[in-house]
Amino acid sequence: MFQQAPCIICLKPADRVKDVYLHISIKKSEGTWNMLDQTQNEDRNSSTTQLMLTFFKSVSNSPLFIFGVIAVVLSITVPNFLSVRNIVNLLTQSSTIGLMALGMTFVLILGGLDLSIPANMAFSGILGALYMRDIGSPVIAALIMVAVGTAVGCINGFAVAKLKMIPFIVTLSMQAILIGSSIWITKNDSVYNLPDAFGDTILFRMGIVPLPVLVLFVITIITHIVLKLSFFGRWIYYVGINKNAAGVSGIPAETVTFFGYLLSGFFSGLAAIIVTARLNSASASMGSENIVLDIVSSAVVGGVSIYGGVGTALGAVIGVIFITVITNTMNLLHVPYYLTLVIKGLVIISVVGFDSLRSIRRS
Amino acid sequence: MSESYLKMKGISKHFFGTYVLKNVDLKVGEGEVLALMGANGAGKSTLMNILGGVLEPNEGSITIGGASRTFRSVSDSEKAGIGFIHQELALCPTMTVAENMFINRFPVKGGVIDRRVIREQAKTVLDTLGCKIDVLEIVRNLSAGDKQLVEIARALLTNAKILIFDEPTSSLALEEKSRFFDIIRALQKEQKVIIYITHFLDEIFSICDQVQVLRNGETSGDGILKDYNHHDIVSMMVGDLDIRKEKKISKAADKVLKVDQLSRTGVLDSISFELHRGEILGLWGLMGSGRTEVLRAISGLDPIDAGHISVNFNGSMQKVHPKRVKKWAGMVTENRREDGLFLPLSVASNISSANLMTLLSKNRFTVQKQKEEQAARNQVEALNIKISNLDQTAGTLSGGNQQKVILARWLSKAPPIFFMDEPTRGVDVGAKNEIHNIIKNLSGRGFSLLVVSSEIEEMMELCHRYLVIHSGRIVKELPGEAAKKDLMIWASGAGSEAGSEAGSEAPGNVNLGTEGEAEREK
Repeated sequence: MFQQAPCIICLKPADRVKDVYLHISIKKSEGTWNMLDQTQNEDRNSSTTQLMLTFFKSVSNSPLFIFGVIAVVLSITVPNFLSVRNIVNLLTQSSTIGLMALGMTFVLILGGLDLSIPANMAFSGILGALYMRDIGSPVIAALIMVAVGTAVGCINGFAVAKLKMIPFIVTLSMQAILIGSSIWITKNDSVYNLPDAFGDTILFRMGIVPLPVLVLFVITIITHIVLKLSFFGRWIYYVGINKNAAGVSGIPAETVTFFGYLLSGFFSGLAAIIVTARLNSASASMGSENIVLDIVSSAVVGGVSIYGGVGTALGAVIGVIFITVITNTMNLLHVPYYLTLVIKGLVIISVVGFDSLRSIRRS
Repeated sequence: MSESYLKMKGISKHFFGTYVLKNVDLKVGEGEVLALMGANGAGKSTLMNILGGVLEPNEGSITIGGASRTFRSVSDSEKAGIGFIHQELALCPTMTVAENMFINRFPVKGGVIDRRVIREQAKTVLDTLGCKIDVLEIVRNLSAGDKQLVEIARALLTNAKILIFDEPTSSLALEEKSRFFDIIRALQKEQKVIIYITHFLDEIFSICDQVQVLRNGETSGDGILKDYNHHDIVSMMVGDLDIRKEKKISKAADKVLKVDQLSRTGVLDSISFELHRGEILGLWGLMGSGRTEVLRAISGLDPIDAGHISVNFNGSMQKVHPKRVKKWAGMVTENRREDGLFLPLSVASNISSANLMTLLSKNRFTVQKQKEEQAARNQVEALNIKISNLDQTAGTLSGGNQQKVILARWLSKAPPIFFMDEPTRGVDVGAKNEIHNIIKNLSGRGFSLLVVSSEIEEMMELCHRYLVIHSGRIVKELPGEAAKKDLMIWASGAGSEAGSEAGSEAPGNVNLGTEGEAEREK
């Protein structure tokens, strides 16, 4: 695993990194690239070759390529890595962290931070679980989870956008409030005995694909489109890059910020549904602080800058899968938990360090 | 005064072949206050930076108390007894008054800072200034005037004999000013050598006794202040009577913007004016006069305490909330890097930022790339913005091209009103001309512009009419053909005296209706 460190550093999917990214790949294999360019010239009339080259060039710029390389390496070296069961398991694991990372992506691009996401997920999950255990309909329970998550996001958004409070303090306090309330409501116990219909529906498999994976897939695409193509997404980048300039341009910066946190809460609610279904129970421990590290590091590894204005939804989710793969591989290799933490930490630091070096070199 | 304590002789300074100072002499004696005057870019700051050890002169010598001195650093200058009280107060806001005063020379006792000594010495110095600030107060909690006193005290603590004040009153309230003048007089009695840099004419006559005026890096006049009056000083600052270009004055067209009694406590006082279609209206004033604040208040960037704004909406004037004025107005801000551009983004998305809603596809949600690029391309061509392609990031452009990108942003939205704060700051001469032409062209096409600039030549080149701002108030309305001298006099706050000589009314009683109209008809 350690030998793969250079590959890890290359996993930098933000669009704006492309040039540097390419630069590095060229440096690494200068000979190969020159050769390819020549081939391209000679075989100008051979359309298949050209098509393949174009494809190769465009793919080699994307994080998917590096990710694929790592996957191939892992599949050869790690037993059971490529088994269908492991892949499905891996993606299912990614789905909850993925949804939360998508929420975090909105906030991070806005130049903010939401530390209350996992706590919000646990809290909404508990309220929904209590409802369906004691009162009834799993459908309403799911709606409650989303509504509670969104409401918490609104409170964060109001505090940050309108009251101009510091995101770190607001969401850290919110996390404490939510975890405290969760323990208090549940008396620090799990809420179980949930209706079977809930778990069965949420974890329903289409063929071999579980619903959560499909949900993550669809929502990632939607989020990616919203961020990259819609006016709202554009506003988010504008505000994240330069709030003052956005205000002068007539962009409703406060409202945009508010909606960023709202969406972060909304995604926490969605994640709550899946986590509750997978555990077939809900408890305060679902919102452990470690998850925040996973979410933030996934997003950052995926090219979302914690300084705002940079990153994509697709990148964040690839970051999530990447972090999950590391965890998963460690499990398959029977690496002790503490060592997994150390390795994860090292990987994150090297990726962020690379990012920082790059910006130093630029300025 | 037989021999002056401080003498600077034959000082020249050039940057890359351009002379900023040419053979300037300066002398001040003990117990004298010298007013150092000059328009922006006249060389005042360069001269004082040489004295402060920030810059080294290319030629010339400095003599202090009879001994020749060369300064290679700020600390050299401090050792020679020079204290520089900067315009931008350089204090650490979260530390106490005493800590700030000792910031670079903490007395140490047994390896730790001797707090008792700090407190006592700080108090002694502040007492000599007749000032009752608590030495343990956190600097952030002090008023601007008190902060300045702390700076003065800090300079006195180093036993500074020569004190340089750079625009000391620009951030002070009225009562703070009079206290400050008392302190200057007290320092004068203690035989300090004081150099006082300011734009404000009325101040120098109340506290200075010598004057030296710089223009384009050369001394254009000096001597005993009593020998001059306001007009003489202004003439020395701006040169002899200027040649004004013929300018077509827009006739009283329909109103597009009306500002009524706009006030912001402590900043703006009853600002009222009207802006007409096709007019370039100049808000003229010195730095700190409130000219930028007027623009920011009208466009909803700063809050207001009173007054209202109306805009022409389908032919009738309607009151609007300042925050909504943006719908009718484009704002080119003073500092394009801070609140203008999105530096890491492409030129195309910088241009489209104010206008995104009209560039959507049929689904009303996604931005249509072709529309966006077409809109950007049109502006890039029209304004002659030099870029390699539309994806080039704004941060890589030159100042002039960056400024054009901001203009392009608003031109593609084409609101009826433009607010422009320092539209040509930091751009080269070529781009400056082009921007001037863009502004004139906009006016010709019926757009109305409110322009702020610290360069008087630029204002005179562009404006059809001026509102002169001083201390947050409109003190005078001047017609487009007003002379440079008048503009300077009114802006410097000396308008009342000069005004009565010229036979016009006193500032404060500005009649924006009839008189303004009459002047523009002429």
